[in-house]
Amino acid sequence: MKSSIKFIMKPKWDEIEKIRNKSSNFLVSQGIPNDCIQALTMVISELVENSVKYGKFLSPQHTVIINIHINENIVTTEVINPVDDSVFKHLKKLDKTIQWIRGFQNPFEAYTERLRVVSKKPLKDEDSGLGLVRIAYEGKAILDFFVSEDNFLNVSALSNS
Amino acid sequence: MGKKKSFISNLLKVEVQETFDSIITNWTGKSVDRNPGKFITPILVDLLERSNEVKKRFVLDFQKLDYMNSSTITPIIKILERAKKGKIQITVIYNKLLKWQDLSFSALKIFQTKDKRVEIRGLK
Repeated sequence: MKSSIKFIMKPKWDEIEKIRNKSSNFLVSQGIPNDCIQALTMVISELVENSVKYGKFLSPQHTVIINIHINENIVTTEVINPVDDSVFKHLKKLDKTIQWIRGFQNPFEAYTERLRVVSKKPLKDEDSGLGLVRIAYEGKAILDFFVSEDNFLNVSALSNS
Repeated sequence: MGKKKSFISNLLKVEVQETFDSIITNWTGKSVDRNPGKFITPILVDLLERSNEVKKRFVLDFQKLDYMNSSTITPIIKILERAKKGKIQITVIYNKLLKWQDLSFSALKIFQTKDKRVEIRGLK
C-alpha cells in the first residue's frame, strides 16, 4: 500500500484541530487500525503545534505544510514551516532534544526522565518540552529534521502503522 | 453527593463533584489549548488545597477524555509531584483499554507512592 496526502494550513492555533480531524479521516480511509490512528494523529498534532509555535510566518503566503506518506506499514509525517535566524535557539534545542532521545535504547526511559524534570518546574512555567519525547515514546516514531537552503524547517517522524 | 460544578475551556470540560470521602474531577472532550495550564492549574491547585483541608481523596478521572496535547500533561505531573511531597491522597484514573491513555497515563506511575497515597490506576 502506497499513498500520501498534503495539507496546507494557516499558522493559527484553531486550525490544528481541523488538521487533526482531516489526518484522522485520511488514516481511517487507509484502513489503519484505530490504536495506530490515535498515535499517529498525536504525532501529527504535536509536530504541527511546534510548527505554529516556533515558525516564522512573515507573510500571508507563509503556511504550515503537512505531508503524510504511507508506504506499506511505514507512515512518515513531515511538517514544514518557514524559519529565519531568529529561531536559531529553537533549532539548536530541537537538534539537542532529538540527539538526547536517540541516546536512549528505550524512549520510555527518555519520556519518564523528562516527566521527572518537568514535574519539578514551577507551576507558572508554561514550557512543557514533552512533545518530541512523547512522539518518540507514545508514537514509537523516529524523529529527524533539516533546514532547506531557502529557510524552511522540515521535521519528520517515521512510525510503524 | 455534593453538587456538580463544571469548568469549560474550548473543547475540554472538567466536572467536579465532592462526595463524602472524595473530590472527583471527570475530564471529557479534548484538551488542545496552546497553554492549557492557564485553565487547568488554578482548578487543580484549588482542589488540591480543598482535599487537604477536608482530608478527602482527590480523584482525577480521565477515562472519558478523547485527546490531550503534551502541554496538558505538564500541569498534571506538577500536581502529582507536589502531592507526592505532601500528605494528600490523590488518584489518577484512566481507561486501560484505550491504548493512547494506557501509554500516556501508565507512565505517570513514576509518581505513585508505595502506600498508594498517590495512585495511578488503569481501569478496564
